[in-house]
Amino acid sequence: MEKKEKEMKWVYEEIVSRIPPFSLLSYKSSILLQLLLLLFIGLFIGYIYHLDSIVLLYGSIGIFVAVLWSLLILQLGPTLRKFRAPLNQKENALLEQYKKILFHKNHYEMIPGIIIFVLLMLYLYVFHQYFSRRSMMESWFGEHPSPILLIFVMILLWDICYRMGLGIWTTTLSMWRSLNLKKMAEKRTELEHTPYTELKHLKKLDINNMFFGIISLLLLPIIQDDYLLVLSILAFVIFITGTSYVSAYIISGIPWLPPDIYDLVIDSKFAYVGTSDSKRITHLTPVVYVFDGQKMYFATSKSAKKIKNLRENNKVAFLVDKRDLKNIYENKAILLIGKVKIYGIHDIFLRGLEMLKARNLFFEKYPQYTRKYSTHKFELPKAWQLTPIIARILIGIEPEEIIYWRGAKQINIPV
Amino acid sequence: MPVKIPEEMLNILYSNYFGYVCTSDQNNRPHITPVFFIYDYIHQKIFFITNNKSKKVKNIKENPNTCITIDIRDPIDPFNNEGVMAQGKAEIMEYGPIYFLPEETLRLYYDIYLEFKDKYHEIVENKPLGESDVIVQINIEKMVYWKGPHFKSVSVV
Repeated sequence: MEKKEKEMKWVYEEIVSRIPPFSLLSYKSSILLQLLLLLFIGLFIGYIYHLDSIVLLYGSIGIFVAVLWSLLILQLGPTLRKFRAPLNQKENALLEQYKKILFHKNHYEMIPGIIIFVLLMLYLYVFHQYFSRRSMMESWFGEHPSPILLIFVMILLWDICYRMGLGIWTTTLSMWRSLNLKKMAEKRTELEHTPYTELKHLKKLDINNMFFGIISLLLLPIIQDDYLLVLSILAFVIFITGTSYVSAYIISGIPWLPPDIYDLVIDSKFAYVGTSDSKRITHLTPVVYVFDGQKMYFATSKSAKKIKNLRENNKVAFLVDKRDLKNIYENKAILLIGKVKIYGIHDIFLRGLEMLKARNLFFEKYPQYTRKYSTHKFELPKAWQLTPIIARILIGIEPEEIIYWRGAKQINIPV
Repeated sequence: MPVKIPEEMLNILYSNYFGYVCTSDQNNRPHITPVFFIYDYIHQKIFFITNNKSKKVKNIKENPNTCITIDIRDPIDPFNNEGVMAQGKAEIMEYGPIYFLPEETLRLYYDIYLEFKDKYHEIVENKPLGESDVIVQINIEKMVYWKGPHFKSVSVV
């Protein structure tokens, strides 16, 4: 079993990792070396066979795109290898299956690439006359290119097709994974969940794939004269980027807190915010807060001690609890320890929507509060006089550690 | 003579069961836990009992600056929210097993234990002090009181 985990590699990764000097280098420098090597060989061959400089430029763009793609897609293996198991059997089984198919020992990941390559060859050599008068190959390399040149070009074309295939393979699978994960997350009970960090990793991989799609646009100048190829690349970009976007969006809607805690955080009215200033003197006060399903926010006035402390030291402890004196074994509490994000004016451009959403959640959750603020405004001290949310500073919690108490039992929740 | 503590602060300190303790470790990472506590007016101390191995004990050893917040929360009317935050240095009397402690400490432990039992008898029935329980005392230096938007603060030392 463990051996399988270690072998989460695709054909290409596996070959490269066995040939020195690539096997000796870190993953990024190995890719950089591949780029330089390919460029060098390409330019050398081009020079020998007196190719046009525009053809050399096109070739270099092709190599560059292939290498950028590698950079993005080869992050999948290492990220998934480090992935910690979700605390839900079904979600765990799903992710195991996802990894198994993604890196299947029969190397199914080659199939889309092979199909694309075969289609391209058929198009370039057999069917092109139905679409345009002159083959691109002819216009680039003349009517009778040398076999060495041809082999190099074929390798490069294969490389590009193979990676396009990988893009389709990984994007399709992550969409399948996200849809199923969402379905399973809806049926969780008690403490079942997939940790925050792991969900963030999955989302990051999807965002990588969006870039993977966008990078393909660089290929357009090379094939600009052939509208069929242009259309194919555009379709490819839309498919990869669109699907990855949807997949990332689905992932960001999956709760990273188990249902038990999720409900507690949704139902509670107050939280305690603990801060510690630069002299390590602690400070603790109750606050009103909102939870949008993904993130917790509280608001404070500009003159509050909390905000002074948080500007000195952005580490925070945030506790939400349910206290019941009649039955202390029913008491529940969740403690998030992490860092804060303090929202300022400059965040309006990038995070304006997020801030607006948080503000509306405050209005919804505490209608009495907001009413009180607007009717009793002038009885309030200066710091409180403006509407609570606009004049108050919005602060978001970014958890690094979660501790959960149920009755007298302490449970560490993986983040 | 102890400092004069305003009536409204005393009300909060005497009539509530839950306190929230905030400590921070050597990396200045804060930590919060709910505790049962008792307030000692004469010496201006707050006592709570906790487990030897708990995170707060570990933090107090690294950084004695501790605060405890006791409050009344009103989800309907924010002007009724009322609370006290006491800041000071925490001290842990003895770590050893209870039967090896000097008599003075034992007496203090016993008194505090009795007081705890008295205050929390409805909740915890005759739960004896465990082997790994320690009594933590916060030597109050400063207290802040709030009701709705109004603040008041008292320096104890």
